[in-house]
Amino acid sequence: MGASAGRILVLVLLAASIPLVQQRVDTVRGGYSAQEEALYLWSGEHVRRLNPGLENVMADLYWLRTVQYFGGQRIFSKDRRFDLLLPLVTITTTLDPRLEIAYRYGAIFLGEPWPTGAGRAQDAVALMERGVGNLPRSWRLRQDLGMFRYSYLGDGRGAAAVLLEAAKLPEAPFWLETLAADLLANADDRATSREVWTRMYEQADEPPIKGNALIHLQRLDALDAVDALNAAAKDLEAKLGRKPRDAREFVSLLGPRAPLADPLGVPFEYHADQGRFSISRESWLWRPTDRP
Amino acid sequence: MVARGSGLARIGAVARNTFRETVRERVLYNLVFFAILMTVSGLLLNRLSIRQDEKIVKDLGLAAMEVFGLLIAVFIGVGLVGKEIERRSLYPLLAKPLGRTEFLLGKFAGLALTLLVNVSVMTLGLYATLLATGRRADPLLLKAVFPIYLSLLLTVCVALFFSTVTSHTLAAILTAGVVVAGRFSDVVRNMNEVLPGAPGWLTRVLYYMMPNFQNFDFKNQVVYGDPVLTATLAWVTLYALAYGAFLLALAAAVFRSREL
Repeated sequence: MGASAGRILVLVLLAASIPLVQQRVDTVRGGYSAQEEALYLWSGEHVRRLNPGLENVMADLYWLRTVQYFGGQRIFSKDRRFDLLLPLVTITTTLDPRLEIAYRYGAIFLGEPWPTGAGRAQDAVALMERGVGNLPRSWRLRQDLGMFRYSYLGDGRGAAAVLLEAAKLPEAPFWLETLAADLLANADDRATSREVWTRMYEQADEPPIKGNALIHLQRLDALDAVDALNAAAKDLEAKLGRKPRDAREFVSLLGPRAPLADPLGVPFEYHADQGRFSISRESWLWRPTDRP
Repeated sequence: MVARGSGLARIGAVARNTFRETVRERVLYNLVFFAILMTVSGLLLNRLSIRQDEKIVKDLGLAAMEVFGLLIAVFIGVGLVGKEIERRSLYPLLAKPLGRTEFLLGKFAGLALTLLVNVSVMTLGLYATLLATGRRADPLLLKAVFPIYLSLLLTVCVALFFSTVTSHTLAAILTAGVVVAGRFSDVVRNMNEVLPGAPGWLTRVLYYMMPNFQNFDFKNQVVYGDPVLTATLAWVTLYALAYGAFLLALAAAVFRSREL
């Protein structure tokens, strides 16, 4: 009895020591560290051949890995490299060519400008085109392809053509044709862009797609606000004969003409040398193409 | 232990014993792993997969059913006869009024029953996970489960055949080899495209000789809600019956002529 109780005690102590030691290891090594990601198989066909009959489960696993990789790079990685994103999405869609979500989200992950996404617009559109080829009856994929052509490539004419194709498919919403017409008429217009993203926001079922559309709409709001502020700053410069020294002086002289922060609450940056406002680099709404 | 009377009764007695033996060997413990897999999937996938949890739960459930079943079919299947010979427990059995073919069929039926219980419980587990996560218990899934069970039965036949002709280890390797090769039957069929010099007759012989395990794969169709025709399932069932019966007959012939 004594011996067995002693053995049980040793076992309990050993088991209890494991989380304690792990906590020490975590303290020594730091909290989360982004792992060095490695992809051992670069071809979906190879993965398929190695797992006959289990292609779908492998596609699911690669899809989960894609989502985790994208999220991990976006949130934890300092340099936000998305090198493995395209091969991961390609392997996923090769293993399961009917996995619609992988095309839709994969294209967003790839196409959104860095640092929100990988900034690989051409690859995003190519992925969607492959998706449309594999799922020819999906109006959603064609709608997304049209919207991504317009948003990522600035190809209003191509986008309109794809939206018109989507409109002919069963269960396609009535407004696709109207949107296509608007794109043909005013492709470079911010209002048209707002219309595209509003439609996307209204009809998306999946929270991340809705969220992405919302970010685009908030960015358009921020751009409108920045334009209003810059126009006011120009007026003020004409009156003062110099540029306002900082945002505080701007507000004290004119009062807030437009909100001084973007819809996410991040204050706009004021560039005293140019007398202009811009979306802050700290904001999720900032894009590398924004000029100061 | 072995019932006197009709052959069917004797086969039944061996089958019951085999089933009890597999249960005693804790084969059905794999159901615990399956339960853990399904619970974890149900809890986590909604967050991890971006609204693909239903598809992934179905994929995982069906794949686990197949993989766990295959492991049981191969590793228990090859031991059905070999173990009895190694443990010398076969001799007193055969001294009773029990034919070798009856013994073999009883062994097959016993493992088939174990696999049936395994697949049935897993199917219920898959449905429970779907219901617990607010999804529909899709009856179409059964159209993938049934062919999986058929493929497992055919695997047992392959394992039984090899276990009558060779040692336990070699039988396991050969069965695993045949099962894997049978999943590449499309490669064999299209061999001429890769090796244009390969004689067409050889490709055809290989293709028809190898058990075609791709026949039994309806997982993708079912998960995406594609129709699976009853006629297709009937042909696949017939294929499993024909090939399985052929293998069992071959195994019985070898076993009858084997010197023990």
